[in-house]
Amino acid sequence: MKKFWVFFFMLVPVLALWSCIVAPGYGWWFPGSDGPSKGVAASPLGRRIDDLFYMILVITTITFIGVQLALGYVLWTGIRRDNREGDVEKAWFSHGSHELEVIWSIVPAAVLLFIALYQMDVWASYRVKTHFPEEVQNKPMAEVTARQFEWRIRYPGLDENGNVLPLMPDPQPTDLYAVNDLHLPSGRPVMINLKTQDVQHSFFLPELRVKQDAVPGLVIPVWFEADKSGEYTLLCAELCGWGHYKMKARFVARPEEEFIPYLRELTKQQSYDGVKEAAAQ
Amino acid sequence: MKKSEFSIGTRSTGTARGRAFPGALTAGLLAMVALTSGCVRHDAEFSHREEYNELIPEGQEYVHKVLGTYFGKPTRIVAWEKLPLKLHAAVGTVGEGATSLSVPVNFTQENLPLRPELEAAWLSGNLFQKNDTPALIEAIGENGSVMFPDPGLAQLPAAGDRVAIGPGEVLKFGRVLYAEHCLHCHGVSGDSHGPTAPYLNPKPRDFRRGIFKFTTTVAASRASRTDLSRTIDEGIPGTYMPSFKLLTPDENMALVEYVLWLAMRGEVEYQLTGQLKNDYSNEAFADRVKGGESAAEIRKELTDAVNGGEMADTFNGIVDTAVERWVAAQEEASLVTPTVKHLEATAESIARGRALYLSKDLNCVACHGEAGLGDGPQTYSITKNSAGADNPTPGLYDDWGNLVVPRNLTTGIYRGGRRPIDLFSRLHGGIKGTPMPAFGGKKSDEELWDLVNYIMSVPYEKRTPGDGSKEAKPAEAPPQVAAGG
Repeated sequence: MKKFWVFFFMLVPVLALWSCIVAPGYGWWFPGSDGPSKGVAASPLGRRIDDLFYMILVITTITFIGVQLALGYVLWTGIRRDNREGDVEKAWFSHGSHELEVIWSIVPAAVLLFIALYQMDVWASYRVKTHFPEEVQNKPMAEVTARQFEWRIRYPGLDENGNVLPLMPDPQPTDLYAVNDLHLPSGRPVMINLKTQDVQHSFFLPELRVKQDAVPGLVIPVWFEADKSGEYTLLCAELCGWGHYKMKARFVARPEEEFIPYLRELTKQQSYDGVKEAAAQ
Repeated sequence: MKKSEFSIGTRSTGTARGRAFPGALTAGLLAMVALTSGCVRHDAEFSHREEYNELIPEGQEYVHKVLGTYFGKPTRIVAWEKLPLKLHAAVGTVGEGATSLSVPVNFTQENLPLRPELEAAWLSGNLFQKNDTPALIEAIGENGSVMFPDPGLAQLPAAGDRVAIGPGEVLKFGRVLYAEHCLHCHGVSGDSHGPTAPYLNPKPRDFRRGIFKFTTTVAASRASRTDLSRTIDEGIPGTYMPSFKLLTPDENMALVEYVLWLAMRGEVEYQLTGQLKNDYSNEAFADRVKGGESAAEIRKELTDAVNGGEMADTFNGIVDTAVERWVAAQEEASLVTPTVKHLEATAESIARGRALYLSKDLNCVACHGEAGLGDGPQTYSITKNSAGADNPTPGLYDDWGNLVVPRNLTTGIYRGGRRPIDLFSRLHGGIKGTPMPAFGGKKSDEELWDLVNYIMSVPYEKRTPGDGSKEAKPAEAPPQVAAGG
């Protein structure tokens, strides 16, 4: 019976490892594209963020298995001592060991410090404006305003030559509007300005590993890059009220050359005056 | 009139084949949840209007019975053929050469994708209203013939018989979607008393008058399907109605049909209780008894009217009127169609619009205020409601008895949409059910376009401190934009 408990506790890390290995097969893993790259982020920065996660996963796995093995060793030797004829030595109480205390303070601290320093690069390129990619610095392509319970999008319009105007902080007569439907070029970094009209929301593109709180009163730049053209899910990741679950929208990444035609199409829709073509001279 | 209708229960016909959950643990957990959460069938009811409660019991009984017969309950909807809705997955007429395994059908309506296991119901001919076992279709063959599994049909339909595939399927689909997305604000019967409604301002729409605010139809007309579909798609900015753009076209269509169905049900109830209220409300009843009639006689009068068919005539008249209005609203003629193209928003046009806005004739200022802030004198006057009685508090009220605030034109938020045609429709047809009047026919289309240009320029007026004490200046003309296309 004593040995059973040793095996039982040894089974825990085995089960943990097994469940981690089979999880992706069941789709219990990161969101991402289907097929061979299932669970892989759809953006370069997203993949760097995933790598950080995997590194932490490896560190914690090694630690976890090490601790479990130590536990197994202690139990096993205890049983051995119990079963030896004439051995009356039971578990003993030892006063604290200074060396041990130092070791198990220093080692985790070193690991944590390593993680803290190692992730700084990714953190900076994600969050620090001066480290944003060159092509998006101070060039927002759209303003995304969260509100209960939808995403309202404002694009700068086109000038008389059909070029995209710069996005102004305040609404302009030339602006174009959309709701729950964000269209931006794929294959290059793009930036949006994130705002909220009411409470805190959070702009979440799970497949691109982008998550940024929208805070009342702030305009927060968010940049991301979709590798491939396609439709991605845009969610709210901050419980913002009873209709929080309704805040599902679409981020459509299309090749660069299709962006201006899309804005033209929006312009056309938005200037529709209801006059039937035949009646109009 | 022979009426054909289908009662649609909550029995699920399609089987959802999802991904099998891995692991016995998950299955066990799911079973536990299923066992502990209880699967009690609640028999839901559509709530009645307030006026219903003021009727004498015989009146209430009649209204309840007739609505139950022709519209049903939330869990047992009646798909009544008389309503001008897309009720079924598909409708068609039987062609020549039907065999017991395959019936050629010329489809006139195809609303939802056809799948096996849908029922085929005959709307006319010798198979009409035969309560045999429902004929479940097996597949839709090429050239639109409907295939039945062995042993096939016991009786063959004649050529020219009308057939519905998936009777009531659209309403059934719409009901599920409505429960998921709309019910918690708009309520089970579309009465705007859903559980989250008390926390909302402005209040959600009550469908039961058949009136919808933001339409592109003329003033006298009901809303068109396109209007409802647009509202579901785009939401109503500035209110709690969010955008449901990610719904598929089929889902959007089914929701529109279901909302229209609720609106028709509500409208019929509204008119019917209104008719009965004149003679058979508790108050009228008491008055009549005071006037010397005997209580039993009045009750008998009503039951006689019900049994003798006079009430049925009244009811049919109400339904016919409602149906006609909805059918008319879907026609091209009901659409607001400007005769001239949207005028360019030049400084002159904006100035003309501003002059119209300030004119005594249109009197926009009375509600929207001189600077368009939505703070006109009407907002702090005692106004009259549609029945001509004074409203309880100062301010403007809509037909549902909610206090409404005239739009602040400086915000640049347009509830009914920001396309020129949307603003034009708002001016031309008014906002139905609210004090916003219709100017179509009163003003020429050019003048309305000038007004639209002015209204769209208001958010861009340059304001400096102290402007409030001076005369408002119109904005400059917006820059030219390359036309789309």
